[in-house]
Amino acid sequence: MLTLYRPGTGLWHRLPAGPKAAVLMMIVLGVCLLPVSYTSAAIAAAVCVVCYAVPGTGPRELVRQLYITRWILVVTVAGQLLFLGPEEAAANTMRVAAAVVLSGLLALTTPVSELLDALERALGPLALLRIDPQRAALVLAVTLNTLPVLAGLARDVREAQRARGGGQSLRHFAMPFLVLALKHADALGDALTARGVR
Amino acid sequence: MSVLDLENVGVRLGDTDVLHGVTCSLDARTIAVVGENGSGKSTLARLAGGLVTATSGRIRVLGLDPEREASRLRRGVSVVFSNPDAQIIMPTVAEDVAFSLRSEKLPCVEKARRVQAALERFGLVELADRSAHDLSGGQKQLLALCGAFVRRPGLVIADEPTAYLDARNARRIADHLFADAGHRLLLVTHDLELARHCETVVLVRDGTIIATGAPDAIIATYEEALRC
Repeated sequence: MLTLYRPGTGLWHRLPAGPKAAVLMMIVLGVCLLPVSYTSAAIAAAVCVVCYAVPGTGPRELVRQLYITRWILVVTVAGQLLFLGPEEAAANTMRVAAAVVLSGLLALTTPVSELLDALERALGPLALLRIDPQRAALVLAVTLNTLPVLAGLARDVREAQRARGGGQSLRHFAMPFLVLALKHADALGDALTARGVR
Repeated sequence: MSVLDLENVGVRLGDTDVLHGVTCSLDARTIAVVGENGSGKSTLARLAGGLVTATSGRIRVLGLDPEREASRLRRGVSVVFSNPDAQIIMPTVAEDVAFSLRSEKLPCVEKARRVQAALERFGLVELADRSAHDLSGGQKQLLALCGAFVRRPGLVIADEPTAYLDARNARRIADHLFADAGHRLLLVTHDLELARHCETVVLVRDGTIIATGAPDAIIATYEEALRC
């Protein structure tokens, strides 16, 4: 489930979503603009540790976030080591790791509804282009929330295949999955309308 | 004011006339719609909820024209479906309930107060920060109902809301639906015991309403038809 939010009362939790996103963006930008060196890698790591030292998150969460992104980091470090060298690999991989885990702080400490409100405000200027910011933010929220539902549908289809003695045929998986996904889309549309969304 | 006024209403979906020649005036606090699978019950409920458009005839829901007064209708009517998974829009329980109030221009404090009151009423306070998708089927349906009632609708349309539930959870959902909270209820159901609790029962067959009246008489007619 993409509910990354962890309830808490720490500094990151108390900051409003908009300013928090701006602060984290500045920190990420600062880390990414550091020169390529071992010192920069150490600074990036230190910044991450400090940001996660705030009550309500903690080093365990930092480790968890790094574990989640482990394959991205492995691929990054391998590619950099192969083509650039150890210092570049350390600095660039730390940049990627810092960007991911610091961005994660926003999702970890902000309820989706607040993110949605902040996004709506940020997308406000799009109204000049006749794009409804509320709708754009809603599309994002619904997309995020639909991913676990699609994963559940995929599991259901696979289980149904196994229950009827089917193999791992992609063709036999794709068709029922597509039908179920479209039916879910229909039902979700109805649910949105039923809850007052135009 | 009638809950539902239909005059020779028809609904065509693709090549199929799902409803045809439907004429009725329903005015009761609780109305059950019964009928066989594919008879048009759900389409009738969706029509009342403004989710499908009539292809012919005249329709009024709570005195409102679903096409011309769609936004007023949406404010006054909440719909609950049988599959609770498809009704979850936001990731956590509290956020999903609060989502129902997004389109209402209420101060944040008032929104929070109403969400809290709804969570308390439906016994979901302790689950407020839980992932909505991780709830049990009964809890998800309670959440769907909570999301419907937080808007304080004049009419709640429930399309087989107890279909996927065990007896205990079905009872809880029914208790909330039938509680007098100032709303009217249009309930589509195969559960004839639930239908007996309603003031009026509507029997739908082959895309049209064939009988409307007191529960005992209509349910007896329906049971007789099922035996044939």
